[in-house]
Amino acid sequence: MDSTLTYDTLRFEYEDFPETKDPVWILGRKYSVITEKEDILLDVTSRLWFTYRKNFPAIGGTGPTSDTGWGCMLRCGQMIFAQALVCRHLSRGWRWMKGKRQTNNYFNVLNAFIDKKDSYYSIHQIAQMGVGEGKSICQWYGPNTVAQVLKKLATFDTWSSLAVHIAMDNTVVMEEIRRLCRSSYPCAGAAAFPAAETDLFSNGYPDEVEVSDRQSLWKPLVLLIPLRLGLTDINEAYMETLKHCFMMPQSLVVIGGKPNSAHYFIGYVGEELIYLDPHTTQPAVEPSYSCHIPDESFHCQHPPCRMSITELDPSVAVGFFCNTEEDFIDWCQQIKKLSLIRGVLPMFELVERQPSHFSNPDVSNLAPDSSDADKLERFFDSEDEDFEILSL
Amino acid sequence: MQSLRSSQSVRPFKQRKSFATRLEEVAGIRAKFPTKVPVIVERYQKEKYLPLLDKTKFLVPQELTMTQFITIIRSRMALNATQAFYLLVNNKSLASMSLTLAEVYRDYKDEDGFVYMTYASQEMFGC
Repeated sequence: MDSTLTYDTLRFEYEDFPETKDPVWILGRKYSVITEKEDILLDVTSRLWFTYRKNFPAIGGTGPTSDTGWGCMLRCGQMIFAQALVCRHLSRGWRWMKGKRQTNNYFNVLNAFIDKKDSYYSIHQIAQMGVGEGKSICQWYGPNTVAQVLKKLATFDTWSSLAVHIAMDNTVVMEEIRRLCRSSYPCAGAAAFPAAETDLFSNGYPDEVEVSDRQSLWKPLVLLIPLRLGLTDINEAYMETLKHCFMMPQSLVVIGGKPNSAHYFIGYVGEELIYLDPHTTQPAVEPSYSCHIPDESFHCQHPPCRMSITELDPSVAVGFFCNTEEDFIDWCQQIKKLSLIRGVLPMFELVERQPSHFSNPDVSNLAPDSSDADKLERFFDSEDEDFEILSL
Repeated sequence: MQSLRSSQSVRPFKQRKSFATRLEEVAGIRAKFPTKVPVIVERYQKEKYLPLLDKTKFLVPQELTMTQFITIIRSRMALNATQAFYLLVNNKSLASMSLTLAEVYRDYKDEDGFVYMTYASQEMFGC
């Protein structure tokens, strides 16, 4: 890809926000374009912006030194995860300003994504961990692929100590999340209890543990929900739920894209999505020993791109960050409320637990049933393809 | 039986059989198995990652939930738990996983009497 061309194409899209009374939602914060335009731009600029880079140390020692043309979903994965780390170590309200001195925590977050082999979530780590997900280096990723890889990489990041949960089959199981978030603390030991008891919170702890202490026994949660909201186009029935994801305070919002091109969607206004675009190739930043990395190229300092919500490819992953258990409880309540709104189709389902008889499924036993098959054979005597009969 | 698959993968079930044939087929099978739901499960035409199933037509106990049904399909394909798999009803909707097949049938069945489901993983992005 020609980076000059990309830059020009993008510059065309750098329109300012429309003067509209519609609220602008950025990562769970509501703004007015008319009175808060500077605040919107500052919020956007403060996000970590990961783009294609060139001339970084070769991946795997002899592999590519640039990710132009293949790394955009990996970069989007970095962006949504970096937002989780910002919430974890800095806060949602933290702001970046050009030239302003930042804390060590900020540089530690940034350093976790720098293009070198030993950063926790570098393109090197993601590309190489992807091999375990069946992706060779330079192969394209989907939202689920990068989510699965980031989850694995997070286990090495003891500094952040995150619980990363990926909700498969468009179902969020609360019990699984609670177990995960309490897992690594002494006494939590949810796994040691029979599955049916894990929702009884107090069972895992000695009686004398105060409520405030229990709250601290909660690993900050990164919840990623990979979805497919249609085959070629998004089913319009999901639009309202999708928009609501941008309004929740726990929101890390969406990785996805237009067909073939990945974007990190951080907000929306009216019927348009606001996104950070990785499709600009910048030279790699030399890691510096002083830990204060030159960081200007990691912040998008022009108005963010926008596109019609109907252009969104149906393959996405929605992300949320719950720093405390209260955040998670609140998130669950919002999702439940959302599901009660008439005419709104939920994108995923929130359930307390997996059906118990299915927690350890040997479903192949379900079929076929021979007595049914006999019945069927008598019914269908043609050359026709037959039914597979499932029985309980 | 299994050898039929490659030819069947070319055209969707609806195009292979006339409406009248499908209608008749459902009437017959429903009479025989009143507590089972006739489901057509097909792979998305542009799907590149998930394998073909060796069956298209399923008769599913009506009390089975979508979770259970999807678990069956996932295990047939030998997918691991981290692989993306979506079963879209009528090419559009992710049916709620706690619905029973009876409920899905009530809400989504085609006028020919089958309920149609298409499976797909996720698209990839790169350029």
